[in-house]
Amino acid sequence: MKLIVSHPEKCVACHLCEGACSLRHEGAFVPAKTRIWVLDLVDEQVYGAFTCFHCPDAPCLTNCPTYAISRDPETGRVYVREEKCIGCKMCLVACPFGVMGYHLDKHVAQNCDLCEGDPQCVKICIYGALEYADKEPLPWATRMERAESGILV
Amino acid sequence: MTSGWAGQVLRVNLTRGEITKEPLRMDWARAYIGGRGLGTKYLYEEIDPRCDPLGPSNKVIFATGPLTGTYAPTGGRYMVLCKSPLTDAIACSNSGGYWGPELKFAGYDMVILEGQSPRPVYIWIHNDHVEIRDASHVWGKTTAETEDILRAETDPQARVAGIGPAGENMCRVACVINDKSRAAGRSGVGAAMGAKRVKAIVVRGTGAVRVADPVRFSQVVMDSLQIVAQSPVTSAALRGLGTASTVGFTNAVGILPTRNFQQGQFEGANAISGQAIAQSVLVRNKGCYSCPIGCARVTEIKGPSKWQGKGEGPEYETIFGVGSDCGVGDLNAILYANYLCNLYAVDTISAGATIATAMELAEKGYIPEEDLAELPFELKFGNADAVIGCLELMAYRRGKFGNLLAEGGYRLAEYYGHPELFMGVKKQEFAAYDPRGAKGMGLGYATSNRGACHLRGYSMSVEWFAPPDQRLDPFSIEGKAAVQKMLQDAAASVDSSGVCTFVTFALTPDKICALYNAATGETLTLEDWALTGERIWNIERLFNIGAGLGRKDDTLPPRMLNEPLTGGAVPGQVVELEPMLEEYYRLRGWDEEGRPTQETLARLGLA
Repeated sequence: MKLIVSHPEKCVACHLCEGACSLRHEGAFVPAKTRIWVLDLVDEQVYGAFTCFHCPDAPCLTNCPTYAISRDPETGRVYVREEKCIGCKMCLVACPFGVMGYHLDKHVAQNCDLCEGDPQCVKICIYGALEYADKEPLPWATRMERAESGILV
Repeated sequence: MTSGWAGQVLRVNLTRGEITKEPLRMDWARAYIGGRGLGTKYLYEEIDPRCDPLGPSNKVIFATGPLTGTYAPTGGRYMVLCKSPLTDAIACSNSGGYWGPELKFAGYDMVILEGQSPRPVYIWIHNDHVEIRDASHVWGKTTAETEDILRAETDPQARVAGIGPAGENMCRVACVINDKSRAAGRSGVGAAMGAKRVKAIVVRGTGAVRVADPVRFSQVVMDSLQIVAQSPVTSAALRGLGTASTVGFTNAVGILPTRNFQQGQFEGANAISGQAIAQSVLVRNKGCYSCPIGCARVTEIKGPSKWQGKGEGPEYETIFGVGSDCGVGDLNAILYANYLCNLYAVDTISAGATIATAMELAEKGYIPEEDLAELPFELKFGNADAVIGCLELMAYRRGKFGNLLAEGGYRLAEYYGHPELFMGVKKQEFAAYDPRGAKGMGLGYATSNRGACHLRGYSMSVEWFAPPDQRLDPFSIEGKAAVQKMLQDAAASVDSSGVCTFVTFALTPDKICALYNAATGETLTLEDWALTGERIWNIERLFNIGAGLGRKDDTLPPRMLNEPLTGGAVPGQVVELEPMLEEYYRLRGWDEEGRPTQETLARLGLA
C-alpha cells in the first residue's frame, strides 16, 4: 500500500508538515492536534517527521477494547471510528512508535488518514523528507531496533 | 475571533508582580501589521524615549506578527523591542527558531515586560495560565543549562527565550537566545531584559493560529514555495552553504571587513568560507519554524583541536565578527567562539567587532600597559585565544577591561580617547559589508534606526548580487537614496508580518502582502503595504528623535568617509555620504535635521 515514508536525514525540523496537516484536519494551524510530528532534538542534532505506519499487524487495532480501530480492506489504511472510541488511550500505549495521536478537544484517538490519498504533509515538504510511496514498511524488528537506537523510521 | 493575530497581549509588571491580559489594539495592528511595527507603536505610546534603557521605565516587548505560527514560508519569527542599552535608540531584534510560534499557539501576539523585578524571575506561560516564578536557581547559568532546567520543571515541549550571563550583567551587547542557538541578537536587548531581572520566558501553547481565508492562503503558500525552491539564493546558496556562502564573494571583491575594517580582504578567507564549513564541520542544515530555506548550520568541531563542541552556526556575520574582523582564520576557533556567544548570549556581530576595536586600540598603543597586563592573553589581531578570552571577560564583566568590553565598541574606544576607531553607527557595530565598496550599504548603515545594521536596507542585493545587467554600480552614489528608502520600507513591512527577511530573496512584496491579506482578512494594496512600511520606518524615527538622536547621528566613522580602501575590486573608494544623505532626507520628506515634516506625518497618518 502507499504510505508516508519519512527520510529523517533530509529533515530540517521546520514543522511545515505539521502546519499542513493541521490546516487540513482542523482548518487552522494547531500543532498540538496534528497527526504527524516533528522531532527537533537540538542537542542530539536529530530531526525527523514521523507518522502512522498503518502496520500490517497493528498493535493499536488489536488492543482497542471497543473495536474502534479498523483496517480499510481496500487501501489497507488503519483508522479510528470516533463514535466508537472512548478515549482510553490503550492504542497510544500499544503503539511502539508513538504515532497514535489523541485529540485534545474531542478526546478520541486519531492517526494519519493519508488525506484520502493526497497527503498534505508530503506536498509541502520542500526538502523531500516525506514521500508518498508504495513501500512495504520495514520489518517490525528492524523498526524496533532503529527506534531504540535513536534512528527514526 | 481574529485571524492572523491572536488578538491578545500579555502584560507583566515586574515591580508589582502583576499579570494582565488585554485585547490587542486592533486599530494599531492594522496600521502597523505586527512584530516590529506594532511593538514600536506600543513602545512609542507607552515609554518616554529619554528614559534610562536599563531602568524600570524602559519596557521590553516580545512581539510576533500575523504570519507567525502559520505555514507561510518562514512564518516563525518574533522580535524583541525596547529602548536600546547600546544605542539609546529604538531596538528591534528579530529571531527565528520555535519560540515565536509557540507564543501564538498559547494565545498571545505580544508579551510586554514592564517595571523591574526585585529578584531574578522567569515567566511561565502555558496557554491561559501565566506565572511569575523564582529564577534564582538558574541565575548565572548559560542559556543551554537554563533551557534544560526550565523545560524540566515546566513542560518538556516548552520553548524558552532568555538571557545568559551577559544579559544578567547588563553587558550592552547581550542578546536574547531562544531554542539554544537562535538569537534576537542586536542592540543589547538582552541587557534590557537582564535589567528587569527576567531570566527567561518559557512558553507552551496548544491553541490554534487561524487565517481568514485558508483556501487562498494555501494557494499563495504553495505558489511561494515553488518560487523559493527555484530561487538560486534561497535554495542553492542559503540552503546549500548557509549565509557563509557570502564569504568567498565579499572577500573576492574586497569588502569582507578585516582587522577592524583596516582591510577588505582576508588572507584566511578560504579556510572560513561556506565551502570550508560544508567540507569540515557541517553535520546537517536546519530550518526555523515553517522555513523552506534551511540556512542554519548544525556543526561540530571534529578531529584534534584545542577547541571542542557542537551547536549551530556560524553565520556569515559571525565569521566576520569573531573571524576576519579580528584577523582570526581558524574555523574551529570561530565555531567555538560562536557556541560561547550563544551560551553567554552576546551578539556575535557586536561582540566580535568590539574585540576587533580593542585589538586595534592595543596594537596602536592606545591602551596603557597596566590595563593590558591584567589580561591572560596577548590582545592582537589573529590571536584566537584573545577573542575567546575577551568573550568571557565581556559576558561576566571581569576586571576593568572586561567591564569596558561589556560596554561595546563605541564606549570602549571613547574611553581610550580614540572614538574614531569604533566601526559603527549610533554606537552599534557595523555588520560584515565594508560600505566603501557598496555605498548604498553606507547610507543604509548611517540611517538605520537601530544603529548600523545590514538588514534594515540590504542594498547588497542590488549593488552586488543582482544579475550584472540589473546591478546598480556599487561604487556610485547615484540612485542609492531611493533604493535604500524602498528597501528599508519593504523590510519594515516584512519584519512586522512575522516572516524572515531572507524569504524576500525569492518572494516579491506582492506575495508577502497577499499572505498578510489572506491571513488577516485585510485588503491592503501593494501601495498600502509599502506605505505601511514607510509609516513603521517613520515612527521608529520619531522615537529616536524623542530620544535625542538626529542628523548628527546619521553618519559613518571617519575611516569610511576619508580613508580609501585598499586591495580587492575597490581600491581608492570612500563613502561620499553627505550628498546621499541629503537626497535621502528629501525623498523621505524629512527636513534638514532629519525630522519628518508635518506633511510627511500627515501623509503617513502619524500627525
